Amino acid sequence: MLSRARVMEITEITSNHYYLLLEDPQMARESLPGQFLHIRIRESLAPFLRRPFSIAGASPGEGTLQIIFRLAGEGTRILSSVRQGEFLDCLGPLGSGFKPLKGPVFSVLVAGGVGVAPLLFLARTLVQEQKKVVLFYGASSLDELIPVRRFLPGEIEIRRATEDGSSGFRGLVTGLFEEALKNGLKPEEIFACGPRPMLQALAEKNKGWSYPMQLSLEERMACGIGACQGCAVKISKGEETGCRLVCRDGPVFHSHEVVW
Amino acid sequence: MVNLEAKLGPLKLKNPVLAASGTFAFGEEYSSLLELEKLGALVVKGLTIKPRQGNPAPRIVETPAGMLNAIGLQNPGLEVFLSRELPRLKYYQVAVIVNIAGDTEEDYVTLARELSGVEGILALELNLSCPNVKKGGILFGTSVQTIDRLVRKVRQACNLPLIVKLSPNVTDIAELARAAENSGADILSLVNTLRGMVIDVTARRPFLGNITGGLSGPAIRPVAVRMVYEVCRAVNIPVIGMGGIVSVKDALQFFMAGARAVAVGTANFIDPYTIPRLISGLHAYLESENLSSMEEIIGAAQIV
Repeated sequence: MLSRARVMEITEITSNHYYLLLEDPQMARESLPGQFLHIRIRESLAPFLRRPFSIAGASPGEGTLQIIFRLAGEGTRILSSVRQGEFLDCLGPLGSGFKPLKGPVFSVLVAGGVGVAPLLFLARTLVQEQKKVVLFYGASSLDELIPVRRFLPGEIEIRRATEDGSSGFRGLVTGLFEEALKNGLKPEEIFACGPRPMLQALAEKNKGWSYPMQLSLEERMACGIGACQGCAVKISKGEETGCRLVCRDGPVFHSHEVVW
Repeated sequence: MVNLEAKLGPLKLKNPVLAASGTFAFGEEYSSLLELEKLGALVVKGLTIKPRQGNPAPRIVETPAGMLNAIGLQNPGLEVFLSRELPRLKYYQVAVIVNIAGDTEEDYVTLARELSGVEGILALELNLSCPNVKKGGILFGTSVQTIDRLVRKVRQACNLPLIVKLSPNVTDIAELARAAENSGADILSLVNTLRGMVIDVTARRPFLGNITGGLSGPAIRPVAVRMVYEVCRAVNIPVIGMGGIVSVKDALQFFMAGARAVAVGTANFIDPYTIPRLISGLHAYLESENLSSMEEIIGAAQIV
């Protein structure tokens, strides 16, 4: 659906990440973890295309949706200057979300950078289903770490990694996660979102681990609904390998199906 | 009383605003957002005989007031089109124009023959202008000789109204338009995208997986309007104009240049309601100008 969502709050949460709270009761009711909103930043022709943002949370009761975004270019810079009370043209919720296993299994989330956004939404729904959840969250440095605790219930354990060692484990989040596996961590399902090299590394390792693992991918897209066929990703299912669309068939895919 | 009906040679449409090929897929994605039957016509995604996977990612990059795409004709192929997509399009009661593409002349002829006489297809659009495939596409559309041969062969293979979609990546589009007219085209559509490139300066390489892509959006509109103006002076068959149309004013430029219908492409991506908005906007325009139909403004800007 296309809607004009009201900006309830826009806050800087790190030196280059923003928290955006939108009001739209119907979208809030329909949104699932892993889905995204395709936002038209401005009514003018610059920036020209909509921008896709993972939904970081939805409160049907309050009719609101949360977005967390990183300043990545002109579009997000303009979005960061939106004011409370203004309206944003949003298409969504789009895409298919994460598909967790049924029952109280142990879920592990692996997040790189702003890729943590959809996993925050997912983490809250997993806890509601009585699952034990651990979030592995990495960024380049302490300045880049989003204060994720405020978006998560207390029972979720957070383990942090920074590439420069300024907070938590020194190194990549995949390194921290591997170390935990060596120390006896026994996940029953894994969900990951982050930069492509991180997801690729996890998918390669998972060929040996064979955990149920779902990845949320990103690709340049125009329409967001499957018409332009721009956001292709190679997916292999059984004997068949073909192009699927991140916007419509994803953004969440099983790790063993993605052809890197 | 205002009448938006559009007559394009053998083709009669309820209104003159079409969805351009490649921007509306086979309609399904937009069917939950708007009533497809309101479109003047839906020109479906370029269809080939066999399914095509398209080009490697990234396939899209934003540019000032536009975008480059290099999809590479990803489509499910003729068989799936006939068994799955066409029945659904019939259900939505939308006027369907099938854009056909191929690697060889024989591909075009086969597609034209197979689609000729199929119920629910209003016309064929020959894609002689796709800039993003290695074989066929634009290679057929950039010389008088290749256009002439291909259009004649397709003309003999089917009895559907034939639209030839022209490429702007040529020196003299009027000459190619005349060639298409002389070899049997009923209607011309123009323009397809302009070939372009964006370089990722961090990676020091072309941004798109296909290296080059086709530029579309408002950035190309003045080029498209000029070409429609020139082609309308050169031929007597009707022209469908397109290239960067976002607003009613944009569409009016194409009509005044001589187009009898317009197609909307890239704008659908940023506002899915562009086409219905333009249809009601043209209606309002005619009323406010005390005009009864678009006929009264078609070619109005042509300097005699």
